[in-house]
This record gives sequence, structure tokens and C-alpha cells, in this order.
Amino acid sequence: MSSSTEAVQKYQKRRWSSLKSQEARLAWRLLLPTAVIVFGLVIFPAIFSIWISFHKVDLSNLNDVFHAPYVGLDNYKRVIHDYAFKWQSWKNMGAYITSIVYSFVSTLLTIIIGLIAALLLNRPFRARGASRAVFLFPYVAPIVSVAFVWRWLLDPKPSGVANDILMRLNLIDRPLGFLSTPGLALLLVILFTGWRYFPFAMLMILARLQAIDKTLYEAADVDGANEWHKFWYITIPELRYVLGALFLLRLIWTFNKFDDIFLLTGGGFGTNVLPVLTYQFSFRLFNFGVGAAAAMILLVTLLIFLVVYVGVFMRYTEEA
Amino acid sequence: MTAAIYDHRPKNFIEHLAAHMSWRKFIFALVLFMFLSVILFPFYWMISSSFKTYAEIGGRHPVYIPNELRWDAYQELFGYWNFGRNIINSFLVAIPTALIAVVLSTMGAYASARLSFRGKNVMLNSILIIYLFPGILLIIPLFAMLAKIGAAIGFEVQDNLGILVFTYLAQTLPVALYMLANYFRTIPEEIEQAALIDGCTRSQVIWKVTLPLSVPALVSVVIYTFMIAWNEFLYALVFLNDRDMFTMPIKINTIFNDPTPRPHVVMAASTIMTIPIIILFLAMERYLTEGLAAGGVKG
Repeated sequence: MSSSTEAVQKYQKRRWSSLKSQEARLAWRLLLPTAVIVFGLVIFPAIFSIWISFHKVDLSNLNDVFHAPYVGLDNYKRVIHDYAFKWQSWKNMGAYITSIVYSFVSTLLTIIIGLIAALLLNRPFRARGASRAVFLFPYVAPIVSVAFVWRWLLDPKPSGVANDILMRLNLIDRPLGFLSTPGLALLLVILFTGWRYFPFAMLMILARLQAIDKTLYEAADVDGANEWHKFWYITIPELRYVLGALFLLRLIWTFNKFDDIFLLTGGGFGTNVLPVLTYQFSFRLFNFGVGAAAAMILLVTLLIFLVVYVGVFMRYTEEA
Repeated sequence: MTAAIYDHRPKNFIEHLAAHMSWRKFIFALVLFMFLSVILFPFYWMISSSFKTYAEIGGRHPVYIPNELRWDAYQELFGYWNFGRNIINSFLVAIPTALIAVVLSTMGAYASARLSFRGKNVMLNSILIIYLFPGILLIIPLFAMLAKIGAAIGFEVQDNLGILVFTYLAQTLPVALYMLANYFRTIPEEIEQAALIDGCTRSQVIWKVTLPLSVPALVSVVIYTFMIAWNEFLYALVFLNDRDMFTMPIKINTIFNDPTPRPHVVMAASTIMTIPIIILFLAMERYLTEGLAAGGVKG
């Protein structure tokens, strides 16, 4: 028996010193810090958040979270019955429906503007490089700066730039409260999102555009196709995968987005979305359990999008 | 006859335009002009307004071009609002985040690009999951968790810039690792193998062969993580309470929400915060655009 353990030990020793296992150990050592940080500050908190959403956690027991009383689905019920969450009217759709409308419409808008910008920059002209750099400004500038500039440009007073221009053009006769009128506010928040995030779509589309085989267009010219035909029958099919991936990525990011709406409207006037609602529950009312429940509803909705999208998209690609 | 052919020089500006412009070119120029003005006007407004006086701000009509460059807003910003402190705080958060992120992600990226080990794919996939998680979902458990750990070990969670650096690392490391790993894979493995055969150890190979070849990628990772930490709003909003500990975005939010509106001061602070980022971006644009398309700045 002792000889067999010795043999095993010998074998293990040999194994450990072999180049391959040496490599594996080095790999784990190199990955360890990243793994610890990501696990400790992302994966564990994510799981912990599920737990919190089923418990009563507020300021009084924040220091003793692990003994928080279990409340079942109460937190979820509170979120679902909250007036800020529920459908009210077409002008105030509640955070859930607003989130869905906001993220779908602004994702679509972002991609359309990005496509136009990419087509624009895909043709050679002087100052193309400089224009591309300028086109990226909205995306790289700090969100706080650009949100507050736009908020001030859309100031409800007659001295606001948007009001001033529209009144000089006689399009309106009294100043509008752009970000404080339900309906209009949501529209403007969506336009802002398109303005800020189109460069990301533009870059991805531009990279794909430049990889399209030029002979396709030459063949189309020979066949007498016009610009529109070439766009619709060559460019769009070639961009299909990039547009699909972009849609999913932007949809996820927009659905998760907190800063833009929080800074533009604070979630008021029919623009409240789930991330802002989660913030309000957690750090205005200090009811962390209800906040976590709102965040879980957000995550589950995101997963449903993902499953539906992958299902539809995969079937579509298989057919193609 | 020949004179008629050569004599088609335009007689005035309109004819000159007509000779050189087709409808397609005109529409192209018009769309380009619209894009540029809608993008640049807010930036022009931000910078020009930071040089206006309070009188120009509070008038009946907006002042499109300030009469003269006035430093009132900047004086108030650095005097009354003590914004210098907030600039330092932003650097204190962004520089360590960028440097630690590039070191750790280089290590992890090398391991996942070059070395083989069991569980690699599971590990890499779980690191990329962060793309899906909303920041707002993580902040509640993080807040509770860190409060608990802080009480046990004895550090403050509130107003602790070190905590912010850690949370930013968690947000930036996965993407940084992913970008660098992709870059390392483009370096021919034969170069490294030649060095290994010549008797270098793995760490010597990494230090003397791989890293010098990856400088562009390393630079862009440093800039991305710096930009993310510099711009970040939500975590700083939740974790910082003391005005002297605020990073710039939170301080700007505070100035904006002051009972007496002072947009010119907000614009001055925004200008100070935006200009370095734009300059950094323009200087490094060649390296950066590829990484942007790869999702370097999540958002």
C-alpha cells in the first residue's frame, strides 16, 4: 500500500513538473487577481442581489444584512403595484413599459443614424479623417457634461436656445417645457440617446462596409442597377450580421442605462425607466430589498429578450 | 470653335457652384453639414458659455457669442466651489484604475491567449458575463456587502476613493482582458517560441518579447480605463457623500442642482472635464477607434 502511494506521489511529482502543468499553474497565477476581483465584485454580488430581493433590507438592518427577515415575494409585489412601475396612461406609461419603448426605439434610432453616418464616411472626401474623429465626440465626452449642455439648450425659459430658435422661426409662439412635458420628454430623451450613441454603431458598420467586396457593386453597375438597388440588394444583406449584433448589444446596454435619463429628467414626466426606479427605491427610499426586486425584474426581462432574440436570429440565419 | 470649348470659365460664384456640384454632391454636403453642426454645437455652447457673465446667462435671449472672454465662471468654480479638490480626486481615482487595470488585464490576457489550462473557456465566458449585468443591479449588494466587510476589517465604505477604484476595476477588467487577449493572438507565436528555445523563461518572454510588441494595445487599454473611471457617475454618486471627496461628475451634478441656477459655472466645470478627454482621444485616435468598435467603452 505504501509503495502504491509512493508511486502515486512520484507520478504526481512528475506530472506537476511537466511543462504543460507548469504552464497551467502559471496561467492560474496570472488570472487569479482578475478572477478574484470579478468574482468578488460582480458574480457574487449578482447572486447576493437575488437573495436580497427576497428579504427585508433597509437602512435599519444594513449592518446586519445576513440576518434580514425573509419576506417571500413581498418586495416583488410592492414593485409591481407601485404607481411608478404600472401603466398609467399613454403619456405616463410606467417604468416597465417606458423602459421597453425607450430601449427599443432608441436602439433602432441609434442604428439608423449610425448607418447614415457610416455611409457618409464611407465615400472618399477631403477631411474624412477629421470628420470621423468629430463624429465620435458625443460618444467619448463625459455623460455629465453633454447631458447638462443639452438640458440647458432645452431650457423651458424663453432664453433657452431651442425655444429661442423655434420662436424666431415662428414655429411655436410660447416657450415649451421640452423635458417637462410628458410624451415630448420621452421623445427628446430618445433623440439624445441617438445623438450620444450613434458613433458606436457607425464604427461597427463602417468597419463592415469597408470589407464588402467591391466587385459586387461593379457587377451591379454592369447589370444597370441604380444606387437604391445597390444599397438594398448588396449593402444591407452584407451588413445583416453586424446590424443584428449591434441591435442586441445596444438593446442590452440601453436597457441597463441609468445615467442618461437620471441626468436629463431625473426619471420624471413619463421618462422613468427600471434602472432609475431601482435607484429611487434603494437610495431615495432606502428600501434595498424592493430596489433589488426591481433590478431582478430588469434582469429577467433582459434574459427574455436574449432568449427570444437568439431563438429568432438563429432560425433566421439557419434559413439564410 | 476652339475658343468656345475653352471658354467655359464660370462667370460668378453661383455658376462656379453649378459647374462643380451635382445633386448628389449637394445632398452629401448638406447631410455632412447637418451632422457636424448637431454634434459640434453643444460643445461650442459648453465652451463659449463658460466665458459668459451672469448677466449674459440670465438675459431674456440666449447670447450666442459672448462679448468678451470673462473668467467669472472659472473664478467662482475654483473659489466658492473649490473645484481643484474635485479635479485631484478624479485623477486619484482614474490613474490607479488605469494602471492597475492594464497590469492585471495583461497578465490575464496573456494566460488566456497563450497558455492552455483546464476551465479556460468557462472562466473567460464568466468574465464576459459582465457585459450583461446592469450596474444598478450590482450596486445594492455591493453597498451592503462592503458595509459589512468594512465594519469587520475596519475601513469606511463611504467617501473611500480606494473602494471606487476597486469597483471600477471590476467594470473595466473583463473588457480590457478581452481586448488584450485578442491583440496577443495576432502576435505570431513563433517569435515567442524562438525566445523560449533560446533559453528565456516564460516571464522573460512576456517582458522582453510580447509586451514591447503590444505597446499600442496597452496604451489604448490605459486610455479606455482612464476614460471610464473619469466619466463614471452612478457608483461615485452612491459611494461619495462628502463634497471634498466628490469626483468631478458628482460635483458638477451638485452645482447643477444648486437652488440658484448657475449654468455658466456648470459649463466651466464641464469644459474642464471634457477637454482633456477630447484631446487624449484626438491624440490617440489611430489606436482607439478599433477598440471602441470592439466595445472598449461599455455604454
